[in-house]
Amino acid sequence: MDAPVLDSWVLAEFATPDDLVKATNEMRLKGFQGMDTYSPYPLHGGSEALGLPPSRVPFIALGGTITGAFTALAMQTYMNTIDYPLNVGGRPLLSLPAWIPITFELAVLLTAFGVFFGVLGLSRLPQPYHPVFEHEAFRSASTHGYWLSVPKLAGVNVDDVQTQLQSLGATQVTVVSGEKE
Amino acid sequence: MAETAAAGAVTLDPLEPRPLVAPHHDDKSLNDTLLDYVWQKPGKGWLMLFGITLTALGGLVLGVSYTLAKGIGVWGNNQPVGWAFDIINFVWWVGIGHAGTLISAILLLFQQKWRTSINRFAEAMTLFAVMCAGLFPLLHTGRPWFAFWLFPYPSTLGAWPQFRSPLVWDVFAISTYLTVSALFWYIGLIPDLAALRDSSKTKLQRILYGMFSLGWRGSGRHWHHYKIGYLILAGISTPLVLSVHTIVSFDFAVSVLPGWHATIFPPYFVAGAVFSGFAMVVTLMVPARKYMGLRDVITDRHLENMNKVILATGLIVSYGYMMEHFVAWYSQSQYEIWTFYVNRARGPYAGVYWLMIACNVITPNIFWFKKARTSIPIMWVAAILVNVGMWCERFIIIVTSLHQDFLPSSWDIYTPTWVDWTIYIGTLGLFGTLFMLFLKFVPAVAISEVKELQQELKHAAAHHGHHGVEQAAAGTLTHGAH
Repeated sequence: MDAPVLDSWVLAEFATPDDLVKATNEMRLKGFQGMDTYSPYPLHGGSEALGLPPSRVPFIALGGTITGAFTALAMQTYMNTIDYPLNVGGRPLLSLPAWIPITFELAVLLTAFGVFFGVLGLSRLPQPYHPVFEHEAFRSASTHGYWLSVPKLAGVNVDDVQTQLQSLGATQVTVVSGEKE
Repeated sequence: MAETAAAGAVTLDPLEPRPLVAPHHDDKSLNDTLLDYVWQKPGKGWLMLFGITLTALGGLVLGVSYTLAKGIGVWGNNQPVGWAFDIINFVWWVGIGHAGTLISAILLLFQQKWRTSINRFAEAMTLFAVMCAGLFPLLHTGRPWFAFWLFPYPSTLGAWPQFRSPLVWDVFAISTYLTVSALFWYIGLIPDLAALRDSSKTKLQRILYGMFSLGWRGSGRHWHHYKIGYLILAGISTPLVLSVHTIVSFDFAVSVLPGWHATIFPPYFVAGAVFSGFAMVVTLMVPARKYMGLRDVITDRHLENMNKVILATGLIVSYGYMMEHFVAWYSQSQYEIWTFYVNRARGPYAGVYWLMIACNVITPNIFWFKKARTSIPIMWVAAILVNVGMWCERFIIIVTSLHQDFLPSSWDIYTPTWVDWTIYIGTLGLFGTLFMLFLKFVPAVAISEVKELQQELKHAAAHHGHHGVEQAAAGTLTHGAH
């Protein structure tokens, strides 16, 4: 997602998840950027191999928690203490202990929304079309295939990239284009 | 541990886990096993069960329509038993829902790897059970079309909800619980929906699963956010479960009624919820794993572990009963003593009370024996008994406390009508129908998580190196995958 919009990628499939992680590491050390791995489950050491910074999802979630708790407290105080004061058995109008349950629930609810939309937003999902889907064999990425995509950069020879990937153990290498031609 | 791994199924080391995933699987064969059921044409058994559940769902439509047309006077509720079948079933269904979240969330946080094969199943159960639960308070209001009055909205009446009332807490707790469970379930489902999209046979399947999988392509950058997000959802779901059933118990405990007014209620209700929830998971999973060919991923070890949880929570529930009786005696309040020692045990509903004791206190103790914990017929019957027992518990708590409280002049007997029964059985139908559809349209086991587990087991096996990878993956390495 940090990569610039490009017109084509080199896609390589690897036989095992370990081969993929190793190859990704090597390619990153060689200076390739904006790469992405594709696998049916999270790879052991995959984020490190791609050199990703820590995810910002926890911060978005924390934002949700604080918003939820604050909203709930403000809502209950305003509604039951200020706008429509209810005297129930002489209990104080500002009965904070009674407001704990709803404050907790709303904090959890907004945290969950933060996580859900945070994960989707940071991943740029939903995204029904992506150029890698053009390659029929790539469909294995969600079931049993381990793929690496290397964006084609200006001034880099595609054949050269393909050779490098093959020497790292890629079982098949192909170029996909971002535009239908 | 390495030495005993080869000794076969019987091992003397109590820390030796039994297999989590049958060792002969790789990613491809796991796909075939787990995705296959979705692609198969529905079999006779599925169609038959679906027919039964759909019929029961028809009963729900009938019961609800009749109630809406005539008013809740067609129920058996009376004065003083204003809360009867509707609240019994509400609490029962919510409780059943809790096992799903517990399996998903708490076991994930504790890194209990055996949860992987059963969490999808259990979460679906949560979702459907909470839907059934929500229906009851909604109907109980008498005029469900005004149910939005429970939410704080700027009404022309100029009134706001009363936030000191546990009933309003309930509205927030249940709606939050349903929403968070749905998000948790769906986000866990996305990678598997993508797998379904990519292995679909027809264009329609590809488009539909493509829509629901949101364009997921297993990108490392997506997994990076996904993993931490999933963990946070698990983290917040854990206290959420406890809070929801605690709040449900406040509906009772905050009153002054003998039989309800007890400080033991929140933990006792939570334990009861886990108890009935796990029992329901066993009830559903035993047949499902048999007919869907899931024995390789839902192993005997899973079932045994669940039975251990049932035993543990059953003992907590028994302790709860003991404490209720003890406090009634210790307080020497004549109303409490009447409720616990006279009315419940010897009154008009004594049969239900003793059935509850038999099902909830005596039955789970059978799981002290390994033979019972690992015997499919015994655990299935025991799990059903526990479900019955927990329903009886809610009946006892609600009906026996309400029908004879402080003033003998206001005592009365409660009898459910056919509408009560139809709606109750109807929600079983709703639950069953949704469950059958779930089994048919999405993988019942979280495939990506099972694969990840399989990979971890292999990694760990490679580190140990003393014996064959397969043996290690099967037997010894659940304690330290890294």
